[in-house]
Amino acid sequence: MFKVLFKKQLYQLNQSFFYDSKKGKLRSKAGSIGFIAFFVVLMVGVLGSMFAYFSAMICKPLFSAGLGWLYFTLISLVSIMMGVFGSVFNTYSSLYQAKDNNLLLSLPIPVRYLLASRLLGVYLMGTMYSIVVILPAVIVRLVVAGFSAKALFGSLVLMAAITVIVLILSCALGLVVAKVSVKIKNKSIVTTVLSLGFLALYYYVYANAYTLLQTVIQNAQTIGEKVKGMAYPLYIFGKVGEGELLPLAITVLCVGALFVLTYILMERSFLKIATSSAKTVRREYREKQTKLKSADSALLSKELSRLLSSPTYMLNCALGVVFLVVGGIALLFKGEWLVDLLIREMGFGKDFAIVIGTLVVCMLTTMNDLTAPSISLEGKSIWLSQSLPVSAWQVLRSKFNMHMLLTGIPSLFCSVCVCIVLRPSAAVCAAVLIFPLLFAALFAVLGLVLNLKMPNLNWTNETSAVKQSFSVLITLFAGWILSFIFAAVYYLLFLPVGALWFMVIASAVVTVLCALCILWLKKRGTEIYKNL
Amino acid sequence: MLEIRNLTKSFGEKKAVDNLSLEIKPGEIYGFIGHNGAGKTTTLKSVAGILQFDEGEIKIGGISIKEDPIACKKILAYIPDNPDIYEFMTGIKYLNFIADIFGVGAKERQERIKKYADPFELTKDLAEPVSAYSHGMKQKLAVISAWLHEPKLIIMDEPFVGLDPKAAHILKEMMREFCDKGNAIFFSTHVLEVAQKLCDKVAIIKNGKLIRSGTMEEVRGDDSLEEVFLELEEE
Repeated sequence: MFKVLFKKQLYQLNQSFFYDSKKGKLRSKAGSIGFIAFFVVLMVGVLGSMFAYFSAMICKPLFSAGLGWLYFTLISLVSIMMGVFGSVFNTYSSLYQAKDNNLLLSLPIPVRYLLASRLLGVYLMGTMYSIVVILPAVIVRLVVAGFSAKALFGSLVLMAAITVIVLILSCALGLVVAKVSVKIKNKSIVTTVLSLGFLALYYYVYANAYTLLQTVIQNAQTIGEKVKGMAYPLYIFGKVGEGELLPLAITVLCVGALFVLTYILMERSFLKIATSSAKTVRREYREKQTKLKSADSALLSKELSRLLSSPTYMLNCALGVVFLVVGGIALLFKGEWLVDLLIREMGFGKDFAIVIGTLVVCMLTTMNDLTAPSISLEGKSIWLSQSLPVSAWQVLRSKFNMHMLLTGIPSLFCSVCVCIVLRPSAAVCAAVLIFPLLFAALFAVLGLVLNLKMPNLNWTNETSAVKQSFSVLITLFAGWILSFIFAAVYYLLFLPVGALWFMVIASAVVTVLCALCILWLKKRGTEIYKNL
Repeated sequence: MLEIRNLTKSFGEKKAVDNLSLEIKPGEIYGFIGHNGAGKTTTLKSVAGILQFDEGEIKIGGISIKEDPIACKKILAYIPDNPDIYEFMTGIKYLNFIADIFGVGAKERQERIKKYADPFELTKDLAEPVSAYSHGMKQKLAVISAWLHEPKLIIMDEPFVGLDPKAAHILKEMMREFCDKGNAIFFSTHVLEVAQKLCDKVAIIKNGKLIRSGTMEEVRGDDSLEEVFLELEEE
């Protein structure tokens, strides 16, 4: 029975490899193999080699300094973090939100089997993420610091201990996520802000990884002494990797005891958590004065509500808002350095810097692809806008307006920053402000055109309408490609003519393309929308 | 109020609705019955202006839905078979959205929301997101939104599915009251007892073709509607 349950759990975990949720059918054998291969390349090739590189950087200096234990402590901490963050949301959903809990509990299955199969699923997921860090580190250690049976044995025990610690922490954090998520009011906003925070942290760590590692290498003795003095268990844990028997025995005993304790707690609380519905804070409606809106304004509000309700939509299609604002602020602080680099050191003219600055703003505007999945996101509710007394063009226009509202204002801000730093003439300044707006308008209408050509209204998970959308992908890359083409055209043909004429002509080209898209939308696009 | 003339709609080779004609006068509750896949939803969607049809004409209040769809949609409301309404809105936000689109004034909308939400016991839940609603609650919200802008014609596809007995009873009363004011309702149902008790007229559709229509007495004679329906289905 446990085997059957575990097989089901494994299938659920790996469902996306075998089942295409977009098309609602099983993938072909070749499709599944291709998808698995892509995942393996991503995990082993990209992440694995990245961590192997980092391990190689610190392995030799630390082992030479007699601080092999610090190597294992640092790598183990990264591995545990990777495992826990990679699997914590899976833990939350598979343990506490499993949709088949009721079904399985109604069957003659002992609860401990059910819990064990779910925990084993969580364990495998955590192991997959943590092993991507620790396995390359162990291989690097054996290659760089020399192979010995003792070291291999210690490393294997350390790896096993890490995977169990990841399971324990995932279970604890999963419970915290379950408890907190029912109390949060604006879940989507909080999720988006947290995701952006993680993204910023990731880029910060990634950008500073080299410096951090150099600091560790240069101050290894001091850091080692401090860790040993202030966090002795971490020292013991690192010693396991070196194959020291006493630390190994202590670690195995402690991790084992913690696991048994976690399992007992889980077994006691599982049934209660799995069968009780979450205590949500019920908001009671109180009558209040409403602000009347025109039909166009109501449609725009609806589009904004749609965006704000979905972290997936915000994170994939509205990042331009953040990038434009952050880019503008960064330009104000680092502008002088950039001007020095481009004009004084690289020898480019001021006009070149202005054009490049404007095209970078254009590229950042295309990080907003709000219109590209907006029709697909109507999903099964599309009947509503089709049955209301509004024209199809009004509906499409509301999506365009949302895009321009959320792209235009940050774009203007960023363009103003470009002007402050580069101080162009009044005419060029006007072009710097207007050109990115026209560019944003072009990609707003292009997103609508592409989504009307490639709609996906039958999604069960909105992620497939956003992340697996060709219209989003094409709009994003087309924006970047067009920016590069403009840069190349300016460099090859317009360098002697100057920034103003280039931007006037480029604006005219973008306006014509935009007008063509609008014409298509008004004539053909509205008809397609009516028939969706 | 509603005039359908020679309506034809095909999906590929298959004719979903074949040369269907019927007329609904003000004050009438018109039932539309037929087997699964008979063409009921296609007809209702065509009337609501959601589906473009191949041939024929549909007029609402004398206005052609092909020529002036927006004018038609201003005087009609449509409730689909599955209330897939905007899950990202709260109940009240959805009702305000509908009221804004139809230009319902602030005072009127508040009065009507109270008037229709109270009997359905949905008022307190209006601040909750639609995603947290049960199927029945979504259906109630769809009904309230249909009545909110005081249309002349309401098109409903299986309106009683998911409603509890009390809510179904309230809806039946609302339907009667609505039509007694000179408006009209065109709705599909599989619950023949409801159709028999509630409808002034009924139409039976089979494989896209209208096979019988008229007043309830004309259609069923001395038999029950169920007997007539089953007899026609076997022919």
